[in-house]
Amino acid sequence: MAEVKVGVFLSDCGKQLSGILDFDALTKYVKKVSGVALVGRSSEFWRGKGLQAIVDAVKGGKINRIVVAESLPKLSEVNIVQAVEEAGLNPYLVEVTDLKDHCAWPHRKTPKEATEKAKAMLLSAIERAKLLEPIDKLEFPALKSALVIGGGIAGMQAAVDLADLGFEVHLVEKEPFLGGLAARAGRFFPTDDCAICIQAPASDVKTITHTSRKCVYRSGFSEIPNLNILTNSKVVSLEGVPGNYKVTIEKKPTYVDELKCVACDLCTTVCPVEVPDEFNAKLKTRKAIYTRVPNVHPPVYVIDESVCKFHDCAKCVEVCPTKAIKLDQKSEQTTLNVGSIIIATGFQEWDSSVIKEYRYDDYPDVITNLELARMIDGFGPTSGVVVRPSDGKPAKKIVFIQCVGSRDRRWNPYCSSICCMISLKHASLIKSDYPDADITICYIDIRTTGRQHEDYYERAREMGVKFVKGRPSEISRDPETNRLIVDVEDELLKRILELDADLVVLAPAMVPSEGTKELAQIGLEPLLDEDGFFKEYNAKLRPTETRLRGIYICGGATFPKDAPTTSLHAHSAAMKAAKFITTGKIVKDQRTAVINEEYCGDCEFCPVTCPYGAISLVPTDEEHFVAEVSDLMCEGCGVCVGTCPLNAIELRHSRPNQMLAQMKALMSVNGTSKPLVLAICCSECGHTAVDSSGMAMMQYPANVRVMKVPCTGILQIHQFLEAFKAGAQGVMVVGCKSDGCHYEVGSQKAEKKVELARILLKEYGIEPERLQMFNMVFIEGDKFAEATQTMTKRLEKLGSLQLMDAS
Amino acid sequence: MKHGQEKKTANPAFSSVVKSRLGGETITLCYQCGTCASSCPVGKITDRFNPREVIRLALLGEEDEVISEDAIWLCCSCYNCQERCPQKVEIADVMYALRNIAFKEGYIPNIYSEFASVLLNDGRIVGVSKFVEKKRPDLGLPPLQPTGVDALRKILSATGFDKLQQKKEGA
Repeated sequence: MAEVKVGVFLSDCGKQLSGILDFDALTKYVKKVSGVALVGRSSEFWRGKGLQAIVDAVKGGKINRIVVAESLPKLSEVNIVQAVEEAGLNPYLVEVTDLKDHCAWPHRKTPKEATEKAKAMLLSAIERAKLLEPIDKLEFPALKSALVIGGGIAGMQAAVDLADLGFEVHLVEKEPFLGGLAARAGRFFPTDDCAICIQAPASDVKTITHTSRKCVYRSGFSEIPNLNILTNSKVVSLEGVPGNYKVTIEKKPTYVDELKCVACDLCTTVCPVEVPDEFNAKLKTRKAIYTRVPNVHPPVYVIDESVCKFHDCAKCVEVCPTKAIKLDQKSEQTTLNVGSIIIATGFQEWDSSVIKEYRYDDYPDVITNLELARMIDGFGPTSGVVVRPSDGKPAKKIVFIQCVGSRDRRWNPYCSSICCMISLKHASLIKSDYPDADITICYIDIRTTGRQHEDYYERAREMGVKFVKGRPSEISRDPETNRLIVDVEDELLKRILELDADLVVLAPAMVPSEGTKELAQIGLEPLLDEDGFFKEYNAKLRPTETRLRGIYICGGATFPKDAPTTSLHAHSAAMKAAKFITTGKIVKDQRTAVINEEYCGDCEFCPVTCPYGAISLVPTDEEHFVAEVSDLMCEGCGVCVGTCPLNAIELRHSRPNQMLAQMKALMSVNGTSKPLVLAICCSECGHTAVDSSGMAMMQYPANVRVMKVPCTGILQIHQFLEAFKAGAQGVMVVGCKSDGCHYEVGSQKAEKKVELARILLKEYGIEPERLQMFNMVFIEGDKFAEATQTMTKRLEKLGSLQLMDAS
Repeated sequence: MKHGQEKKTANPAFSSVVKSRLGGETITLCYQCGTCASSCPVGKITDRFNPREVIRLALLGEEDEVISEDAIWLCCSCYNCQERCPQKVEIADVMYALRNIAFKEGYIPNIYSEFASVLLNDGRIVGVSKFVEKKRPDLGLPPLQPTGVDALRKILSATGFDKLQQKKEGA
């Protein structure tokens, strides 16, 4: 390895620091540090002449490591690093330290102490720079194709978007027809129009206009050249890596050739098998060969293999004019190679029969909102008439019950968010057709958050829908009249009521779909939240991304959603999925974890802990395994490093020897009369909290020294001891909020580690109060300043730390 | 609550007091859905007891009203409400917690006070009447032996129950 020659560049930030820090003393100090080949001074190094000086020194071969003391490193670092890279030096050999916000400004009242701290900060940066190693740029292929799982409105929309952008798209739907839950719902709020109309694809030249909104069957959806629609299919396995997934799809037979079927309906007239129609909530029957509704897509008939008599009957085969029926069709498996995946598996109604007192299983006249939607649909089992399923007579008195299994800590603690609107929509649709209908909605709270949603509530009241605040306790049935009785308290009048009803409509919770559960079984379970929905990577910033690169989520698969939000979500997921594969490659720095195979004890800790599934165990011989890191999937947080009991993992850009050198340097000079405190901050929220306290000129003592690590999850217990050994009297660990860690679990891991370390410290005779974990975000600079002062006072009280000399 | 403004006597800390007592832990989970009220067999025959209202008053800090009125003593402990509560509020147990607070403050309906007195004296909640004693041999049952009241008295004394009861009797 070539001799290390560090160039140190000191900026006084447009002279604003020169009144506080003694730059002559700093220059003199730095010049004496071994390995320093050049010291430059300017009022700015992130642009102009200053930056040119760095570039010239690199080009002239005078230096091969760079330390820049510059303000706001997070903004200026980009410029410096880019220029250095262009000059031919690896960008990871640059270390930037912030003498303004981390030193001069927060210690402006004690300039001498600030100068001493600046020396320690510079030394720390130099020592780290000396140990830095070049980091390679890696390139991985990304296939320009995508898979969309789920053919409801979310999946269809995402597929259209991706196809319009020119990607090869595969859309997988487990049912024989597209539309998902929307196809059953009939009409949507807040527009009251059909549920399954979609934005026409760009390939449909005749219909595409800015306003085009098309019923699926005339949208040209199935004619999009680069869209491969696989109905009656499901994903059976998912392998590979981001950008290059290998997905196996099983297409089950429908026993009808989709291309030949002309949907003439002759087959159903001869089919002798009649079964309840699931799609229509069993309110009518269908044949073994069937389709759904006239606008169903694809417009074909399919055979229900669970009831068809096949060759024992074959009447449909004889009558089919196009010879489309193929009773010997077999299921087919295909393997698709795709770059990114969108999951749009939607949601479903919860099984209301769990709440026994509502008698959903016992009384046919107790139905759910989705079943009611089928009745309201003109294509539905009752041609739009709302009836009592028990006797087919029109239902005149209807009671809705909200929050069935929602907001219920026994089953689904969350608010399903759309059920109030669904019931309001249904009540007003019924009222507008049958003004005499007597409708009561029993509710706990009516939630109508969204544009035009409150209008529905208002309109329903205007139409005469009655509202009873109270959750019913029980439904019973009058044995003589067969009419239902709903027990409920009208809380506002404080009266116990027995509401009499022809029909009771339950508004069940919306829960993860069967499709979601199936995906969980083929390895995606880690992406689910505690309720079983797919969890977004960050609710605020990355609502349609998962923590796995290349896998995106949208629509009801993430949480119950109305149509407008589902649509938004689908567009967002499509954009993210497209962005990932659009250049055909994934470019990434190898700032990743590396395993020392000699030390690895195949304990399985790291593969289980890694939030990104980047570590796997590979066999070395018949009995032994060794951990292997995927550079593509590793995000460089270091949580594995902190977890490894054998110190077998290191991060290439934050090696333990680099951290130790920094610690020692930071503790090498005190310059104050106060006990030294080492604040180990994560590079995300923790470090920015330090920035913000400095930016706001909040004052705290200069005995506090800040060291940056990628994530607090990287820390190992022995490092706390090393810090004390290096001279720290107290150690603060500053990470993101527990549930807001940028690497999912890092903060929580650090909290646990600090807790454990405090127990150990006690055993070693060190007061546990010397070590403390803090969780802070950028805007909590005041908390950081306060915490350092509290810690300093506490340490002053405790007195000097006496360590036994291990030697 | 009666008409008018929020009572000046409301105790904002009352819900925390209930929460800290055995059985009262879940009270703050209540979101007033009223499932308990229409599940309650007592509420079906009298409007003097409505579990939802009792909990609401307690959450609003209306301590005096909750502990001095009869409502909390009318709960028949059928646990129907508790079985059905969607927020898993242990409603019947909350009633016990409230009764304990009430008793401590000297509020107990006479009938319960009489039970307590019999319990302290005989070790039984229901005293043994002469009628029962006569009837037992006819049914082939042995005569009742006196109960071991001492152990029970020790427990009741350790909990302070006996003193509270004496105070009540003295009043």
